[in-house]
Amino acid sequence: MSDRTSVESVSSTQPRQNTTSDSTTPLGGGTPAPAASPKRSTRARPADAIFRGLSTGSAIFIMVILAGVALFLIVQGMPAIVANWQSNPELNDGFTSAFDSFWAYVGPLLFGTLWSAAIALVLGAPIGIGIALFISHYAPRRLAGLLGYVVDLLAAVPSVVFGLWGIIVIRPFLLPLSDWLNTYLGWIPIFGGQVSTTGSTILAGAVVLAVMILPIITSISREIFLQTPRLHEEAALALGATRWEMVRLAVFPYAKSGIVSATLLGLGRALGETMAIAMIISPAVIVSFLVITEGENSQTIAANIALNFPIASTLQRQALIGTGLLLFVVSLAVNMIARYIVTRGSSKTGGKKKSRPKPLVVPTGDATSTLTRDLVAEKNTAAGPEGASA
Amino acid sequence: MKFKNVATAGAILVASAIALSGCASSTPAATTSATPSAAAVDYSSLSGTITAGGSSAQANAQAAWTTAFTAQAKGVTINYDKSQGSGGGVTNWTAGSYDFAGSDSPLTKDQQTAATLCGPNGAINLPIYLDGVAIVYNLAGVDKLNLSAETLAKIFSLAITTWNDPAIAAENPDAKLPATAITTVTRSDGSGTTKTFTNFLSQTAKDVWTYPADSAWPIAGTSAQKGTSGIVQAVGAGDGTIGYADHSAIGELKAASVSVKGKDFVAFSPEAVTSAFDAAASTTDTGIKGDLAQTVDFTAISGTEAYPIPLVSYGILCTTFKDAKQKELTTAYLGWIGSDVGQKVAAKNAGAAQIPEKLLTEIAASLELVK
Amino acid sequence: MTALSPRTVEKGPVPNSLTTGQLPRFAELYIFGASAVVSGVLLMLIGFDVIGWLVLSAVVYLVLLGILSSLVENRRKAIDRLVRGLVTVAFLLAIIPLVSTLFTVVSKGIGALSFQFITQSGGSAFNPDTLEVTNTPGALQAIVGTLIITGIATLISVPIGLFTSIYLVEYGRSGQWLSRTVTFLVDVMTGIPSIVAGLFAFSLFTIILGPKAFSGFSASVALSVLMIPTVVRACEEMLRLVPHDLREASYALGVSKFATIVRIVLPTAIAGIVTGIMLAIARVIGETAPIFMAASFTDNFNSNPFEGPMQTLPVMAYTGFAFPGTDITASNNSAWGAALLLVILVVILNLIARVIAKVFAPKGSR
Repeated sequence: MSDRTSVESVSSTQPRQNTTSDSTTPLGGGTPAPAASPKRSTRARPADAIFRGLSTGSAIFIMVILAGVALFLIVQGMPAIVANWQSNPELNDGFTSAFDSFWAYVGPLLFGTLWSAAIALVLGAPIGIGIALFISHYAPRRLAGLLGYVVDLLAAVPSVVFGLWGIIVIRPFLLPLSDWLNTYLGWIPIFGGQVSTTGSTILAGAVVLAVMILPIITSISREIFLQTPRLHEEAALALGATRWEMVRLAVFPYAKSGIVSATLLGLGRALGETMAIAMIISPAVIVSFLVITEGENSQTIAANIALNFPIASTLQRQALIGTGLLLFVVSLAVNMIARYIVTRGSSKTGGKKKSRPKPLVVPTGDATSTLTRDLVAEKNTAAGPEGASA
Repeated sequence: MKFKNVATAGAILVASAIALSGCASSTPAATTSATPSAAAVDYSSLSGTITAGGSSAQANAQAAWTTAFTAQAKGVTINYDKSQGSGGGVTNWTAGSYDFAGSDSPLTKDQQTAATLCGPNGAINLPIYLDGVAIVYNLAGVDKLNLSAETLAKIFSLAITTWNDPAIAAENPDAKLPATAITTVTRSDGSGTTKTFTNFLSQTAKDVWTYPADSAWPIAGTSAQKGTSGIVQAVGAGDGTIGYADHSAIGELKAASVSVKGKDFVAFSPEAVTSAFDAAASTTDTGIKGDLAQTVDFTAISGTEAYPIPLVSYGILCTTFKDAKQKELTTAYLGWIGSDVGQKVAAKNAGAAQIPEKLLTEIAASLELVK
Repeated sequence: MTALSPRTVEKGPVPNSLTTGQLPRFAELYIFGASAVVSGVLLMLIGFDVIGWLVLSAVVYLVLLGILSSLVENRRKAIDRLVRGLVTVAFLLAIIPLVSTLFTVVSKGIGALSFQFITQSGGSAFNPDTLEVTNTPGALQAIVGTLIITGIATLISVPIGLFTSIYLVEYGRSGQWLSRTVTFLVDVMTGIPSIVAGLFAFSLFTIILGPKAFSGFSASVALSVLMIPTVVRACEEMLRLVPHDLREASYALGVSKFATIVRIVLPTAIAGIVTGIMLAIARVIGETAPIFMAASFTDNFNSNPFEGPMQTLPVMAYTGFAFPGTDITASNNSAWGAALLLVILVVILNLIARVIAKVFAPKGSR
């Protein structure tokens, strides 16, 4: 019933849209009309043109914003990057005085940023994906909705509150654990060093960071898991797969790129997190893998900006913005690498379009047969050793 | 309690101010009268918005000043952004975003004249806020602690690592010092407090403390925390911790008595800070007329009446304003802060010490020069 | 060849799994109870500790379950049960910090909340006789500031983000350079540090308006820079999930592309889009650094987004902790109150969004 009415209502709105079409069409001029979808009807419709123009315009606008931000960073950061750090009096004062060049300053910061984000990701990503899987495939339906809601809610807790929570809950909680790790596992390099007595370690920071990225990773992964085609899941179960096998053979391959992009968004947040890190970790601008010490925690770029911005002189401010530029470049690189991994992963396993599956376009039969093959192979290998020993 | 007399005096002053304000028809420019204690100025004709920001050390005092000033000048709105910090305040002020900046370190001569928005006469620093750096500690069983400058330098340079070290024991014969390891807590963000404290150490314990005065903590290996609140939290939460913080913000923490020479240990009190500042501070000659940047010679502080680590914070403004109305508002406000009543409001509500009387007179004279 | 040989052996050892080799129905519960008791007893011997007990129970449970299942059932079933156990444990593990955070916020903030706290803006009074300044806590200025700043940011970001995602899904084709570039740039935008966004917006406005450009609006622009990528990402995912046959059916009826998108695609995806937008709002509503940079700070009530500094709830929370007044406890209390209010605000916005989604969603969809 809605189809009929929609057609009519569109034709009735046509004249009204027509009057504005002249002014807006040039926006869409960037993309030539022939590039339109093949399904486009042959009749030219002004509303279509406007809509197309608006969409393309928005896409271009995003490029403009980003170009603006990039330009801003470069213009602001360059003077400090090219300055002579050894002779400049402004840079020889305060927090930049100990460094010979911009790169000597930003190097340890870059390491600290990646190191803390990596720990957070190692701790947070598997758990985040685990929760998503639990909510989408294991939890009772009614409970799942509620849990999903609670997790979403956490995305709204401001990072200063996470910082505070880290100080009053996580720091004391991790103290005995740190002692234990140092005593019994101190031979592993990262657990060595002088154990912290206040708990403001990079480990505490990373644990809080892990909790902060959970909501992002979980809510996106959950959506992706829920979108796994029913057919695939049921086919797997019908072939006698256990639930885990079904998840592994039907859900994960389908959701792989979604999981990667969820993890990436989480990583983005972890790389850029400022306030919580600044409040929890006792930092030093050094390269250090130690995770449970007081004075040897590597500082992150974002926290360093927040901590030193208030006292920075003009050139020092520019130096800090320069480090921000580098953070920008790093997230760019991380994204590129991840995209590369995703595309390579999908091309290796053949025709399965995992990243953006259009349910009806995916040759279902083919996918199911692949599934069947995998499943049979799995059964064989499972039975194999037993058979051999018998 | 100790403010009681001060408060009464202030009350009389304000009462007389209100009584006088009825017949005072003078223009607000008369703010800068020669005697700062005569607050007989009518601010009620003022209206507009003052935008300022900077030093977080001044935050509580500025909050009190804002309330008290706008209570008299009903048409005035004051926005003081304490989140910017001294550097941020100066940067925004230089860019023209603020009418005045709050800063823990005065502008250098180059900065004063380089500030293009002020014209050829440059900018002036006015010392408007005085507090002390407290040495806070948390050590089970020790309620009173004496520390000399040299011992402090040893502790903060990590040369002394346990509380029962002979150097500490010698200064605290009565205390039962445990063998607990010392955790030194410092600022991870740059701060005027750090600069004052490192300045103090570099002047009074030259042999031990070989680092220059700096707003960033120079030594790695301490527990670095964000902000005064971070230090207060970390010192309070640990055992065997010691740190430094603006006295007005230490809350319930215990603070040590300090001495420059190793005898006459003095506990913090606002009066002791004022008298120390009076003895040690002298106006730096920057060649700019009306500038009141102070140089503090910590070694000149002695006796049982002077707390050795005073912390001063400035209001920075142009000598020539582009906008006459903003000039009127800003000088009225700063003039009131630099009056006896203004200082008493800060002392009562923000735990600050008062700027010595003779400096207040100079502030009033400097404001007179602002065009 | 190798693929065939195990298959022939398979028949022997694998029994009919329909009738035999099953653990009893509530086996997992029993095992869990058993492992809780066992680890409890074990810990009693060396000193009891709740966290240790829970952790040990979980480990014992997983090990026991694995062994039992692989003995009674087969390896595949054992792995399945083990994974189920692991996922559940991961979930329980994760729920602890999540609940702990929420609990901290609620328990500390609830004390500060009162009718006056919400309906009054924070104020202070000066008594000229005693020179005393008394502060009354209030969050109205921050609530209003949060709503205005985030509201404007949403108004800016949602159209741009939604249209961009429509472009990416409906108009752009995957090979095209524009859509490739935009997808990539959106990824990059997620990496902009929030403080940089604030600086960028403020610098932009100082160029246009002169140095005193502090305003709620410039903070909104800063938040938009942070918000747009999240909106695009979420909306794009949701639009792509709209089955293609719906679109094709619509085109087959001669409906224009515009009408198909507005009448068919968007309503079908509305629930997901609304969730995505709420996630984006939640992402930016708690920001502090860009607000400081672009909107400065004030304690005064200001409801004009185009002029003067504004306060928001996260800023109030932050300043309450970082720059407490002389009464530290009172400052911290109102800071926790602000944090709790923020969470409550998000809950309310979420509920409203869900209602909107329900109204617009076509009947019968999820």
